[in-house]
Amino acid sequence: MTVELFGMSRALAGRPTVTLAVEGTVDYAGFVRALADAVPALVPDVIVPARDALVEPNLLLLDGRRAPRGGERFGADDLPCVLFLASGG
Amino acid sequence: MTYAGPRDLLEIDLSERTARRAALDDAVFADALGGVGLAVRLIDERVHGPLDPLGALNPIVFAAGPFASTPVPAANKHALATISPLTGLLNEGLSSSHFSAVLRRCGLAAIVVTGIADDWTTVVIESGTVRFEDAAPLVGRSARETTRALRESYGDRSVRVCAIGVAGERGVRYAAVENDGRQAGRGGTGAVFGAKRLKAVVLRGRGEVRIADPERTATISAALRERAVGPKTAKYRVLGTGANLRVLQRMGQLPTRNFTAATFEGAERVTPERARESRGSYLELRAGCAGCPVQCEHLYVRKDRDRRSAAASEYESVWAFGPNCGVDDLDAVLDAIGLCDELGLDTISAGSAIAFAMECAEHGLIAHDAFGPELRFGNGAVLVPAIEAIAQRRGLGDVLADGVRAASERIGGGAERFAMHAKGLELPGYEPRTLPTYALGLSTCTRGACHNRAATYDRDLRNPSEERADAERARDAIEAEDRAVAWDSLVLCKFVRDCFEDFETEASALWSAVSGVPLDARGLREAAQRTWERKRAINARLGWTPADDILPERFFAEPIPAGSNAGRRIDPERLAELRATYEALRRQAGAAVPVGQA
Repeated sequence: MTVELFGMSRALAGRPTVTLAVEGTVDYAGFVRALADAVPALVPDVIVPARDALVEPNLLLLDGRRAPRGGERFGADDLPCVLFLASGG
Repeated sequence: MTYAGPRDLLEIDLSERTARRAALDDAVFADALGGVGLAVRLIDERVHGPLDPLGALNPIVFAAGPFASTPVPAANKHALATISPLTGLLNEGLSSSHFSAVLRRCGLAAIVVTGIADDWTTVVIESGTVRFEDAAPLVGRSARETTRALRESYGDRSVRVCAIGVAGERGVRYAAVENDGRQAGRGGTGAVFGAKRLKAVVLRGRGEVRIADPERTATISAALRERAVGPKTAKYRVLGTGANLRVLQRMGQLPTRNFTAATFEGAERVTPERARESRGSYLELRAGCAGCPVQCEHLYVRKDRDRRSAAASEYESVWAFGPNCGVDDLDAVLDAIGLCDELGLDTISAGSAIAFAMECAEHGLIAHDAFGPELRFGNGAVLVPAIEAIAQRRGLGDVLADGVRAASERIGGGAERFAMHAKGLELPGYEPRTLPTYALGLSTCTRGACHNRAATYDRDLRNPSEERADAERARDAIEAEDRAVAWDSLVLCKFVRDCFEDFETEASALWSAVSGVPLDARGLREAAQRTWERKRAINARLGWTPADDILPERFFAEPIPAGSNAGRRIDPERLAELRATYEALRRQAGAAVPVGQA
């Protein structure tokens, strides 16, 4: 599963995408664990130390358009992106 | 209980060259807190009906943040309020850093400036005295040059200065006021300075700022400071707000070419992150406000150029001259931002005015060569000459200097279709057609199109496809408005907003410890609501009606043409229903001012 990275996740990973060792589909917590396995440097700034959630203001959106519903499983075709809440000053 | 902090109000009349100083009562601080709350209260007491924003009666109010010059991090800030020459309505901006701290070290809670000086004037405030000095030698200089000259003349590098540049002197209606490299940019407070012939305000003060409970203040501040250097603020510290650009582009929500599109093919070439990742080509400098652990400002300049020309890469500024003008040349964008800071212009309004002119030129309403290089979307070469013409009020620049609403009326021929503003204030870089709650907040915002007062995009961005009931969106908009007032009254930088676990509880405890005036979470919410009601009441006296709470026609009539949000537009009936729900909820909450039609 290829994941697009933005903001701190991209800066810490040093690349715009990362491939996760995931077959088929995965739920949110499984996705975050796989992401932590692929890029350990994302813990703790982007991924919480328990490795089951993203640190606010980072967020997961599928194709940059919607958050997965509770318990929803998703796959590579859903185009997962690790983005963050944009905000200006 | 007695308010512990500096409590004096200094009233300056430039016409009479007089100054009067008096202590504010405890009740004023209990009611309004400080910052925006205090500034709005002081405006409310002085503005009783329509007035000329560039006339003698329009007050300029400086109101110190109540945590400035204390150990509270990200809190050296002050409010700067007046009646905007751009909107004709209340304008309350914020600025920050050393000037804010020294305001309190002069023993002041607030300054009110009225009148019009006979000649260009610098007002010098030392702890106990006020002087009016000739500012004629400073005319034509930037705020930065003015600061340098004043410090040299006093032989004191520690004096703190806020000043206007050429744009404020020439009455550009979106001229900024600058102190310590920070700007109160939006709404044209710099033009009000210029109309009063007020070039600069100088502060010299070293007084002690008393804290009611120093130990508790230190404990809470230390915890907040620790969180403020953690993951919650990493995006600001490491990347800066310019990183928004890639995110909004991926989400199909990047306003492009004066909001005619929501994706920009040149986004990757103009993102500040690209400069950060190209360390061989660009030099990155860091800056931030006094006493702030976040240090969010990231400035860039090509390595083969003078480092003093490094420009700030805030998202709103990069967006205004980049995607919104269709320009994909990062160097041209940074030059435009740097020039705006030098001349004293709000970057959002300046970029929007140029984007508006580009669209007018493409429709044959104005000449393509008005600024020399061709006036068209994508031409970065036109940015600098256009900005210079606006600041000098030269040719078409004179028309654009009044803002897009007034400019569209002067140009005519249907130019109103291209004027992207709310209540006269140019729109910031978020796409209302994809952010329904933000669209509501943008329409109701008392300041006009201000993303910081109507920061309702947070919830929309968390899940852009989420269907939600009108009442839920309206409650979110109200909560965002009131919470912004609370932040701006305390005055804390919104970049540490994620550092609070329970903002109202923690922030009210902090207020109580610093000020000695008891406050709980409910009291903080009530104080914020009182200030919001005052804002709308002031606007109502200035002529605002609910009919003014509208958005540009483009968002209703023109769907987003391409990208992942293609086809989206705002349904006018849906927005009207949302506004009605919003007004009903405001009335239920006991709003004691005109709240419009249900």
